[in-house]
Amino acid sequence: MSNPHKTENSDLPRFGMVIDIDRCIGCHTCEIACKIENDVPLGIWRSWVKEIEKGKYPNVIRAFRPTLCNHCENPICVKVCPVNAAWQREDGIVMVDPHLCVGCRYCMSACPYEVRYLHPTKGMVDKCDFCSVRVDAGLKPSCVEACPTSARIFGDLNDAKSEVAKLVATKPVSTLKPDIGTAPRVYYIGLDIATMEIKREVKLLWEK
Amino acid sequence: MGKVVFDVQYQTTVAFLISYYFYFTGLSAGSFMISTLSYGFGMEKFKPASKMGVIAAVLLLLLAPQFLLMQVGWPIKSVWNHFVYLNPLSAMSYGAFLLILYPINSIIYGIFMFKGNLKMTKIFGLIGIPMALAVHGYTGWILALGVARDYWNTGLMPIIFLFSAMVSGISMMILLIMIRDRFFTKEKVINGDLIDSLAKILGWLLVVDLFLVFCDFSVLLYSKLEAQEVAHFMLFGKMSFWFVIVENLVGKVIPMVIVMIPGMRKSYFWLILAALMNMAGILAMRIVTVYGGQALPLM
Repeated sequence: MSNPHKTENSDLPRFGMVIDIDRCIGCHTCEIACKIENDVPLGIWRSWVKEIEKGKYPNVIRAFRPTLCNHCENPICVKVCPVNAAWQREDGIVMVDPHLCVGCRYCMSACPYEVRYLHPTKGMVDKCDFCSVRVDAGLKPSCVEACPTSARIFGDLNDAKSEVAKLVATKPVSTLKPDIGTAPRVYYIGLDIATMEIKREVKLLWEK
Repeated sequence: MGKVVFDVQYQTTVAFLISYYFYFTGLSAGSFMISTLSYGFGMEKFKPASKMGVIAAVLLLLLAPQFLLMQVGWPIKSVWNHFVYLNPLSAMSYGAFLLILYPINSIIYGIFMFKGNLKMTKIFGLIGIPMALAVHGYTGWILALGVARDYWNTGLMPIIFLFSAMVSGISMMILLIMIRDRFFTKEKVINGDLIDSLAKILGWLLVVDLFLVFCDFSVLLYSKLEAQEVAHFMLFGKMSFWFVIVENLVGKVIPMVIVMIPGMRKSYFWLILAALMNMAGILAMRIVTVYGGQALPLM
């Protein structure tokens, strides 16, 4: 695994996102904003909020996990793409090139976060690109813009004065599946383990 | 731990067409192996199977990529882009070259064989063997390098694919040779020695194949949570009928028992049954591996 902070001294921006789940109210506005902005068809999502109900009455909570492409520092999808359609910009945004993608779906099955989808009419793979068109124009991604509680914070991780860099430096942040070594650039504050676990139906070999 | 109120499911889109592609390349690789036994390695008793083998290998390998082209979203663009925008780190990149070079080599090999040029047949047969191994082994690599899926991500996957290719190829050759000898020769007599030798090879390859599956599952069952979960899914869960009964019992264990018992192996009824069961079982294996490997949600 490469150093997750290897881009710290670079002059280029390294875009990332911090999602403060303590602020998330599970309103799904980010989902809708993303769908409108990126014209995402019915039945598929670039970004969504996984909701879990846990605990026993009266001690119950709904735990949320806003999910989007993690824009990994070491993306597996870029490695496995046979035609170089999955690529990483110098500012770290992982993109799908619509002119190159042939729709073989290898990246979909190789992605540990299952954030890629097959576009039903274009026949190509698509995914969150941090609203790269908006980012290039100096705007924030639409999910960040739409979030009513500012749970999603977007910015340049290399710029020490940016809010994301400050949060990543000072808060207890975590990423999804750090063991795979993809070094995600979407950080979570207050991530609940229940939202990360897959539904367990098996009795493990070493389980009592 | 909690009840899921809302989540987005992964689209399991890589499934049946890719399974058929794997199945037909496997049959092709297996029948090519049989055809090289006599011309490449000098095993004279397999000579009557050689021409059949090379014809089957070429035809099946012309058929197999059609499933691939149906699967991808942009068939013509995919052929072009695989060569022009090649990513050398992707296992899939090499497939495009293999799927073009291997049939060409097989056709040249077949032409020399039919013309009776033994020296050139041997040369192209021996060139073809690593190609046949690669054209099927790479399909196992494609799955093995899908890092996120624990069922696929094992070094055994290419080897399991190779062995299942060889057993299904031999089963198909047994059936094809029987049909040819019985209906399309002057004597109308089945070449018993050849069939018997092929059946013996089939038996031992099935032993190895079952051993590899056992190795794979013994490790999966002792591995991390997701690996154990997929092993349970295969052995006791929704996939258990297809994995345990169809793939392993019907497809491998029963044919192995049939071809291992000399009395049953000599009986054409049982041998035909074993070959058919094995071919069906390997098709189930392709579907189980491709579909079952990605059926469980990761997050």
